[in-house]
Amino acid sequence: MTAGGADAGQADRTDRRVELALGALSAAVLLLIAFMIVFVFSKAWPSFSHNGLAWFGPGGNVDEQLTNIFNSPADPSKYVYTLHAWPLLYATALITGVSVLLATAISLLSAMFIVEFAPAWIARILQPVVRLLAAVPSVIYGLIALLVLVPFVGNHVISDAEKESVQFVIQLDGTSVLVGVLVLTVMITPIMVAIVTDALRSVPRGWTEGAAALGVNRFRALRTVGLRAARPAIVAAAVLATARALGEAIMLSMVSGSLGFAPNPLDGVTFFFEPARTLAATIVDHADELSVKPSGQTIYAFAAVLLISSAFLSFAGWAARRSMRKYTLQAR
Amino acid sequence: MNFPRPLAVIAALALGISLLAPAGAVAKPTITMSGSTSVAPLASLLARKYLQACGHCVNFKLLQGGSDIGVADAAAGRVTIGNSSRDPKPSDPGGLVFTKIARDAVCIITNNANPIPTIDQAGVQAIFGGSVRTWSSVPGAGQRGTIDISVRTPGSGTQDAFQRIFMGTTKVFGGASQKTSNGLIQQVVKSDPAAIGYVSLFFTQGVHAVPYKGVPCTLRNAKSGQYGGSRNFYMVTRGAPKGAAKAWISWITHSAAAATVIGTDWVPLH
Repeated sequence: MTAGGADAGQADRTDRRVELALGALSAAVLLLIAFMIVFVFSKAWPSFSHNGLAWFGPGGNVDEQLTNIFNSPADPSKYVYTLHAWPLLYATALITGVSVLLATAISLLSAMFIVEFAPAWIARILQPVVRLLAAVPSVIYGLIALLVLVPFVGNHVISDAEKESVQFVIQLDGTSVLVGVLVLTVMITPIMVAIVTDALRSVPRGWTEGAAALGVNRFRALRTVGLRAARPAIVAAAVLATARALGEAIMLSMVSGSLGFAPNPLDGVTFFFEPARTLAATIVDHADELSVKPSGQTIYAFAAVLLISSAFLSFAGWAARRSMRKYTLQAR
Repeated sequence: MNFPRPLAVIAALALGISLLAPAGAVAKPTITMSGSTSVAPLASLLARKYLQACGHCVNFKLLQGGSDIGVADAAAGRVTIGNSSRDPKPSDPGGLVFTKIARDAVCIITNNANPIPTIDQAGVQAIFGGSVRTWSSVPGAGQRGTIDISVRTPGSGTQDAFQRIFMGTTKVFGGASQKTSNGLIQQVVKSDPAAIGYVSLFFTQGVHAVPYKGVPCTLRNAKSGQYGGSRNFYMVTRGAPKGAAKAWISWITHSAAAATVIGTDWVPLH
């Protein structure tokens, strides 16, 4: 504090300027988001208002409905809007949910391995590799899956009898829930591993060592103390992974079937071989129909549902982290 | 200086960009195209030839997305030219001009391991309509088991042509897999022995093009008019083409050089 008052005043002014500029930028971001939500909903409104709650329900073949909407007559008063989007919503929940569950299990175990059990040189290699995997663009995963995994599943895993059992309803050609879930899991696991690893590292050494001193083995100490302390970070990782899975479009459009079908759990093993198309993949597949007004409004309705679900997702993540605050160091 | 520095930097950048952009555009007009994945290979070959012929007088930018994207983009003024492989529809926005540039064959394709000798219209309608679901009930098939059908999304010009030429009023099987491009269907049929699909003639490498009504799906048969599954390619503009776009489209429709390029894989108009 030996510097004169003039210097301190100068520093204060610079701080205020930066504060103002950054504040303006974040306000602009907020404004942009608000504008986006209003825009999407105003575009989507006719699709919701014509169908009411039936929009979210099952009924008929959703692809046929989309085609009928696309082939609407030119007269605006005769636009077709009938849509029962249940198969798409169900596919989104199914594929996202299963892959996030799988990814959570895998990432917890591998993060525990990296932090506690891996020899130092393996951990040194693993961590950058995991970060690299997290950054690979999804279309690359989609291409590899389409060229390798889909033909393999279609030609070698699914039996002829299984194909014939459903042949008048759908075709089992390898593009399936199974491939979609597998590739999506591979895509979102690295992000979760990276976050959970950092969280486990930041758990004070003394806590786990204390547990170890009481006689429990390393795995148990990590599970009961380390994982428990890192729970908010695990929730944050799961939320981030779910958001990425929800928004994944290109890869799923390539490998999960391009068919608006609701896979039936009663079909047994065949269930996993059945095609399904998520909301985001539907938007990509039908983006070329935006020029037809009712089709465009329907596609915006899909976008609106995705927007709302990701908003709910962040809210649920926030609420979960809040309720766990008392167990942890960081009050985030 | 009492202007916040980050803002000044941003303002300077924006000013710089806005000064640069028109300067580049004045020097050389840019023709942007989007739309049909069937027209895209032809448009790119034509553009390369045109650049040689006119001494790099324009810049080209070619995007894809399906015929309906082309039509919509042209109508909204997002591109100079929209490529379309389907005929004009009554529901298209008003004021669009469709200039026919070539004709193209739509081929039914199967895996090379399953070379079907021929198929007639009733056969196409039975398979794609979903009433015949096993290869053993298709005459001449070298494959057994369930048929895997790949079709295009509704916004595709190839889908529109296929429905009009081959299917008529028969609806496509509801369980068929919907793909977004010619290349994707080609890839799926290449890797799945039980698959059947349809693509523009240009995309038949590595797969078996099934003769339709006994006429092989080849360029020669499409040119002679013997092959029944032909459709038109269009370039779509908002109003009559103007300026650089006008010169380019009239080069395509009138010059012998363009006709030679078109003749390599498509049917020239004259």
